[in-house]
Amino acid sequence: MTSLQKYLEGKIDFEGQKLVERISHYAVMELAIFAFFLGFLFQSIQMTFMVFGVGVGIVLAIIIPPWPMFNQHPVTWLPSKGTKEKQQ
Amino acid sequence: MHSIYARVNNVSATLSSTVMALLAAIALSSFIFTAQPTGSLDIASVKVFAGEARRYPHRRQEYAFVNFNITADLSPLFHWNTKQLFVYLEAEYTNAKGVRNQVIFWDRIVRRQEDAVIAVSGKNKYPFREISAKFKGSTPANYTLKYNLMPFVGVLTHGEAVRVTDPIDFPLARERVE
Repeated sequence: MTSLQKYLEGKIDFEGQKLVERISHYAVMELAIFAFFLGFLFQSIQMTFMVFGVGVGIVLAIIIPPWPMFNQHPVTWLPSKGTKEKQQ
Repeated sequence: MHSIYARVNNVSATLSSTVMALLAAIALSSFIFTAQPTGSLDIASVKVFAGEARRYPHRRQEYAFVNFNITADLSPLFHWNTKQLFVYLEAEYTNAKGVRNQVIFWDRIVRRQEDAVIAVSGKNKYPFREISAKFKGSTPANYTLKYNLMPFVGVLTHGEAVRVTDPIDFPLARERVE
């Protein structure tokens, strides 16, 4: 049950989140600009939307699953100091 | 961004804004294309006949019959944002009561650039009637070939391809074809 939940949640670490955010913003915007000029050059609106659609599919495949490259900086917690009773 | 759902949410928000911007850019880009179609329009004959009005069995109604020749090249209007052209022939005149009328009596939809060269010699496709039942006292009519450019994205644009140089008078109504 917990493993299924973990699989569906697909957690990534903080560095991975930063990377994903950057990819999602810049890749989608640059793809739109590229698709626009390509379609304009070839005078084909179909080409614009085909290129944009395929590109978005690739971006989604990169971004959505929790690939190992987004989990290369796991959070390292400090060692536990133990309870107050033990320290005294 | 930590879970799949957060990532889907984030990327779909980016996508919707980007697609809006892309569509706006395409819509704006069609203002760059300002090609003017060329051609000629010749009204071969205009005849007016009296007939029975539809729906009113005993009322008389005049019908105009227009024969025309069109040769027009509308292919410059096709660019990447052109979905189709609606091409139509319009008669513009003021009737005896002083009402300005614009009547479309022939049209055609052009979907492909290959079909954009129009060479038609024909007659009116739709009944050309005067709303006051009689053409008598109307001003001479101006005949024009006009088009509506329907884009994939953006605004519908209108234009005039050809105009007949001189307005043409409506002849007197005849009761029967000789």
